[in-house]
Amino acid sequence: MTRFHRQLCAGLIALIIATAGALWLNAKYSALANYAYLTGWALLAGMFVLTIYNVRKKLPFLPLGKSETWLQIHIYLGFFTTLLFLIHLKFGLPHGWFEIVLAWLFVLVSGSGMVGLFFSRVLPRRLATRGGEVIFEKIPALRHGVKTAAEELALGKDAKSPVIAEFYAKRLAVFFSGPKNFWHHLVESRRAAGALLAELEDLRRFATEADREKIGKLEALVRQKDGLDYHRALQLALKLWLFVHIPLTYGLMIFTILHVVMVFGFSGGAR
Amino acid sequence: MSERLPAPDFDAQNYARPNQNWICGHACDGNACRPGPDAKGRCCATAECKPVLELKPGETKGRWKCTRTGGACEAGPLPDGSCCRPIAKCSPVPTLRWWRGRLTLAVIAASCAVLLVVLGNPPWRNNFISPGEISQPHSGEAFTALAATNQLNQGCGACHVAGNTGPRGMVHAALHADPGILDLKKLAMAHAATPTAIDESCLKCHAGRNMHQPSAPPVSCSFCHMEHQGRMMAATTDANCNFCHGDATKMAVAAGAGNVSEPPIHHFAEDHPQFRFITEKLRDPDTLKFNHQLHLTGATIPNLPGGQKLDCAFCHQPDAAGAFMKPVAFEKNCRVCHSLQFDPETPQLMLPHGNADFVSAYLRSLPKQYATLAAKENPADVNGFVTAKLAGLRTQFGSGEDLERRIFFSTATFGPEAQVGELSGATRALFPGCAYCHEVKAAAGGSPQITKPVQTEHWLAQAKFNHAKHLNINCAQCHDAVHSKDTADILLPAQESCATCHSPRGGVADTCAECHTYHKPPLLAR
Repeated sequence: MTRFHRQLCAGLIALIIATAGALWLNAKYSALANYAYLTGWALLAGMFVLTIYNVRKKLPFLPLGKSETWLQIHIYLGFFTTLLFLIHLKFGLPHGWFEIVLAWLFVLVSGSGMVGLFFSRVLPRRLATRGGEVIFEKIPALRHGVKTAAEELALGKDAKSPVIAEFYAKRLAVFFSGPKNFWHHLVESRRAAGALLAELEDLRRFATEADREKIGKLEALVRQKDGLDYHRALQLALKLWLFVHIPLTYGLMIFTILHVVMVFGFSGGAR
Repeated sequence: MSERLPAPDFDAQNYARPNQNWICGHACDGNACRPGPDAKGRCCATAECKPVLELKPGETKGRWKCTRTGGACEAGPLPDGSCCRPIAKCSPVPTLRWWRGRLTLAVIAASCAVLLVVLGNPPWRNNFISPGEISQPHSGEAFTALAATNQLNQGCGACHVAGNTGPRGMVHAALHADPGILDLKKLAMAHAATPTAIDESCLKCHAGRNMHQPSAPPVSCSFCHMEHQGRMMAATTDANCNFCHGDATKMAVAAGAGNVSEPPIHHFAEDHPQFRFITEKLRDPDTLKFNHQLHLTGATIPNLPGGQKLDCAFCHQPDAAGAFMKPVAFEKNCRVCHSLQFDPETPQLMLPHGNADFVSAYLRSLPKQYATLAAKENPADVNGFVTAKLAGLRTQFGSGEDLERRIFFSTATFGPEAQVGELSGATRALFPGCAYCHEVKAAAGGSPQITKPVQTEHWLAQAKFNHAKHLNINCAQCHDAVHSKDTADILLPAQESCATCHSPRGGVADTCAECHTYHKPPLLAR
């Protein structure tokens, strides 16, 4: 059993035990007068621990434990907090604008977290099957190098084929100019790059022997660029879900704090 | 903390800094400068190196030396000590991390702005923070007018102190809530029935909290009546009632305070006490003599004018609301069989009903009554008609006093039994006498006195009932009338009979509020 599987088993067992315990406590004590207050505080505590994971990442110099451990806690506590959220809502729907907005924020933060977990479990494996390790920040430079090489082949001083030059100007220049086919790569479709390669293959019929060699090199560069686009798309997806998860987390915390203020301010200690 | 040194093959020239907010503008060309932008996104590029001045012993001018990473350049520093290879300035590019940080700040700012705008505007605030629709009695124009009468604020402020103020007031109210924000122990231990600050707002309109028992402990209004649950305020639950009635200690205290001792009650079908009219063997005090069994099953009971058999519904008709039955009335329900024809030979004349004095007066004016009848039917011989009729009565009953005594006190039937009232169509009367149905007493002056019948409309005074909701049930299923011969029988079902349906097994609602109301009638009326 690998370390990952050991962590997964331990986390799942802890989550199952916590879930069963929470449901048992809910069944036993849900009739308590201030039960919503208690579940609310438990939920807020869970949300607070989840939120400070982001703070923890900003303070790597502090001895606050390994980031990996924090991530494991973040994941399983995130699932448990979702259960607490449902218990706090008494498995019903919220009413009133403020509570609906608050609930939607929670749903979006939780949902984006689950999407992020899915991406972080699936996309790295896919990345590992397509070429070597490519650092996201270096992809523009690598892409620029590929583009320069392709331009040199098609339009450089040694290029003498108008067929290749025309094809480059019409089709390849756009392809090499920047990242392409984001959604195709995300859904593991190679149709777009395949179509371009097929067109290049068709070009061979009108090319001389020397040009065919260049076309072969261009095909290799197209594959290389497509590989870079693939890495960029998947690595970008691994980063983009945080654009929903983290900003909305802070929005959620602001609304939550106001929720606490309003609950105590308006109930005056009553239910 | 251990410091990690870069690996020998670490490319310091092309070191990517994904954790920084800015990257060199030349990075996308693969020519990122070594120093990179500063934290504020300004280009820091100057030259490839910063030459140092080397002074050998005895030298005064010294010599500038190239310090370029990766090896000194061929040209070396310029005579003034500057690098000969300046780096072109760039426009640094923000990283994804920078964009994410800005988006986070934007969301925080937008959240705060939206909340401040909405909470600072009272009409918007009330709509925005309301956790649900207010019940109909606590909203609308009628409540607004009532709130104005009672000098209450409009909107949330009518009930919530914090609703009178803006965001600062909310925070103040939250910090002074009882139990406090962080008083978890008190929050966990507090009972919902304990009166709170909100009850004071309730009492501004509902003055004088009217508990159904003087000994009942003060209970928070919100314990039973939950607001913000929709247009209809949710019904009181059994848990609310069981707060006292399910607690043996509280019930013992109540019994000690002079109330009827009742065991704890938790569910109607399980431990609700038997109805008091059964346990106390109450009897119907009505003096009218009525035999339900005879009327429902007797062979001598004729069919009604329409041909149908006499049944419960002929006498017991629901009132306008359908909840209870109208009182049985002689004119509507009895006269069709029980005629007041006192003279078998004269069906046109009927005794008045409802007042013994009127009957006596009627009997003493019989010559006049016969004369009036004769004027209609035999105007040619009025005197002869009256004389003949009075003679017939005298022959049958003796003197006028005898006739009056007979009419008031006799319980015996007379005349052909097969013909009752109008039912046979032969119009032969069968008037047994008032005492056949009524309790007739001889008063001190000798005049008869008829005890007025009393029909109890509502036997279970602490409960409510609606016949309209029970129309799918046969009357006899609850009311055992076919076995009752005595008016004193109270023909109501026992608790077990109700529990047949009103129980989890029966599938019909069995909550306390289904039958009982908590408050005393004056508060309900208000």
